[in-house]
Amino acid sequence: MTQLNTKLVHGLPLGTDTTGAVNPPIYNSSTYAFETVESMPRWDYARSGNPTREFLERQIAQLEHGTRGFAFASGLAAIHAVLSIFAPNDRIVVGANIYGGTYSLFNEHFRRWGLLSTPVDTQDESALERAVRGDDLTPPARAVYVETLTNPLLQVNDIAAIARIAHRYGAIVIVDNTFVTPYLQQPLDLGADIVLHSATKYLAGHSDVIAGLAVVRDDALGERVYYAQNRLGGVLAPAECDTVRRGIQTLALRLERQQENALAVAQHLLAHPYVRDVHYPGIHGEPVAAKGLRGCGGVLSFEVAPGIDPADVLDHLRVFRLAVSLGAVESLAELPARMTHFELPRSERLKVGITDELIRLSIGIEDVRDLIDDLDQAFDVAQEHARRRSTDDLYAVLAI
Amino acid sequence: MCHVETSAIHSGYTAADHVHAAVPPIYLSAAFHMESADRGDALSAGTQDGFSYSRVANPTVDVLERRIAALEGGRSAVAVASGMAAVSFALLCAAEGGGRIIAPKTLYGASVDAMASFFPQFGVHTDFVDDINDLAEVEALIGPDTRAIFAESVANPSTEVTDVAALAELAHRHGVPLIVDNTVPTPYLFQPIRWGADVVVHSTTKGISGHGNTLGGVIVDAGNFDWGSPRFPQFTQPELVVSDERAGAWHSFASRFGADAYIRRVRIKYVRTFGAVESPVNAYLQLLGLETLAVRVREQTRSAQAIARHLRGVPHVRRVQYSGLALEDEADAGAQAQRVRRLFAHGVGPVLSFELDGGREQVSRVLDGVRVFSYVPNIGDARSLIVDPARITHREVPAEFREAAGVSDNLIRLSVGLEHVDDLIADLDGAIAHAYGV
Repeated sequence: MTQLNTKLVHGLPLGTDTTGAVNPPIYNSSTYAFETVESMPRWDYARSGNPTREFLERQIAQLEHGTRGFAFASGLAAIHAVLSIFAPNDRIVVGANIYGGTYSLFNEHFRRWGLLSTPVDTQDESALERAVRGDDLTPPARAVYVETLTNPLLQVNDIAAIARIAHRYGAIVIVDNTFVTPYLQQPLDLGADIVLHSATKYLAGHSDVIAGLAVVRDDALGERVYYAQNRLGGVLAPAECDTVRRGIQTLALRLERQQENALAVAQHLLAHPYVRDVHYPGIHGEPVAAKGLRGCGGVLSFEVAPGIDPADVLDHLRVFRLAVSLGAVESLAELPARMTHFELPRSERLKVGITDELIRLSIGIEDVRDLIDDLDQAFDVAQEHARRRSTDDLYAVLAI
Repeated sequence: MCHVETSAIHSGYTAADHVHAAVPPIYLSAAFHMESADRGDALSAGTQDGFSYSRVANPTVDVLERRIAALEGGRSAVAVASGMAAVSFALLCAAEGGGRIIAPKTLYGASVDAMASFFPQFGVHTDFVDDINDLAEVEALIGPDTRAIFAESVANPSTEVTDVAALAELAHRHGVPLIVDNTVPTPYLFQPIRWGADVVVHSTTKGISGHGNTLGGVIVDAGNFDWGSPRFPQFTQPELVVSDERAGAWHSFASRFGADAYIRRVRIKYVRTFGAVESPVNAYLQLLGLETLAVRVREQTRSAQAIARHLRGVPHVRRVQYSGLALEDEADAGAQAQRVRRLFAHGVGPVLSFELDGGREQVSRVLDGVRVFSYVPNIGDARSLIVDPARITHREVPAEFREAAGVSDNLIRLSVGLEHVDDLIADLDGAIAHAYGV
């Protein structure tokens, strides 16, 4: 069993089953019996570990080419646990346009605990190196935290280059790999030390579970993350572990279709008269494979042309659902400035390029013709409204 | 482990078989690795116990089956997808091939519909009696084709109880099995097998799961009845599915399984071929529900008793049907009251019913006026439920049967839940007062 697609379906059985069940059972039991005081059972208390969670944790470690995996009650619970391995006055260099929830966790929660963070444009290697190195008053950073693809502008972070710089100064590299999954990239192979996932997204794939995963590259990190998982206790419940496991079985099929659809939608939007710009890896000819990506995923974003109200487009979509989250079988659309990235102050947002006109799409596995038709009809409505507004403005001017 | 309270939590599950987990796991697996050709052959032949395909058996469902068998004092059990699957399979397995069943007209509506108008299409007929406790009436109907007597331990909605002991004695004297639907009281209040019944069926949707969140049924076999007698040719005819054709060794269910002949036939013929299999998730919910069976049913029965007592004094309530009142009315020397005191010392369960003055309009106003009771066609839920049987649960029952069951158009049925009894009484009082414009 060496190929990724096979590992997605099978995982690594625990070898504890006595019934021959093809699927691993869901153990909701919170506690496990000791046969004697001396004989410690393999699992004793479900927070510390249980067979259903262990199946998923072993599988994600296998898929991400790490030594150990951890399942959490949400993506943010995973990030919380991983950041908890650091100490006060440690400094972490953080990609400048990260997910709003992660931004808030760094700047509102961990800042109070003395964990420092330095934002940087991770596309700018010299700026990154300056930030990691620090200066006479600032010791080198302990870690660099990035997302494989920036959200929602879909810039490709060069994990290998980032890792080279970070490791030069003794910093570890933490990568949120949610947007591409191990199907498209294993950041640990490129030099990262810890990989994070909101498994809610592509890995589970059906918008039916909230879950987070973490994978480490060595046992020493594994011990530290396990301590945080077990003591902070933000663990994923067994039934949810099984839901994620079942989603992973079809990851390859879903993501292939989502990428195919996303590229077609991106190309259509690029040629659209009411679209100013489209953000999707490689859409403007930039190299993607050179940065270690085997594909570009199913998320894209675009800015509407001046005069078009982005809310008008979003409010008139019929196939796309207006919702945050991404990576599921159904297509979703949202307005980052108001929905996923409202935690960033407007000035910060504009600085990193998240304008008020930016719409993010998470492309599902529907027939792409329906997705394109849906966008076109919503644009028609938005354009008609824009025309009426400008006519009204003209009448208003004439009335004066 | 002989007490219901203990069995409901522990029976049928060995933690060491499931990595010592305190709670049984949910096996969401359609099929099972058979490991080797030899083991696969043995599993298929039934010479080795184990799992191969969840339509036949599943480890989570297996725990539920063993637990309910223990609760009912039975030898073994088969879980199915609904209470009606349990009733249909249990009765057809006994009466298939032209048999007759004796049953009271007071049965649950869907059971009446199945037996009166559907089973005859398969050549299985029912002789209905007005009063299942009228042993002379029952005995007069027993003939050479009679394959089973079927009764409910506590009738719904009248709550009349069946004298299972006397009926079992009569049935056995004629070589006929007694099958009892024990849904309303649950094994906490009554165990028909201990009084002589041969087979027990349940809608586990009701008191056994107790939270209105799952469907299920179960058939429990006492293992005492001789199905090898000539009255039941289906059990003595050779069947390929239990034989080894290649070796020329032919078996019938009776010769192959002995005391397990009936339950094996239910599983191998009815569940396996008709396919109304219980799902592991539903079985798991029932296992969770069973853990609180005793405390729930005890509390619900106590509240039902108090509500019945209260309703007897409420204006416009013409009649209250709750046989459990006999437990507090020692002066009542009627046959029904004596039966209740003898067989149901701890009560008859959460269901009661009452008749109102007036008709459809007043019933509708009560149903629409309650705020704590939910207008729901179910019983045994943690929530209190109210329904008008004539229009809902007994709609498919012919008028003659409805009258025999005491289901008039101005009857209201309650299934008492776990809310505080004072809130329930106040809710009913308010709705009844509202219905009569007080």
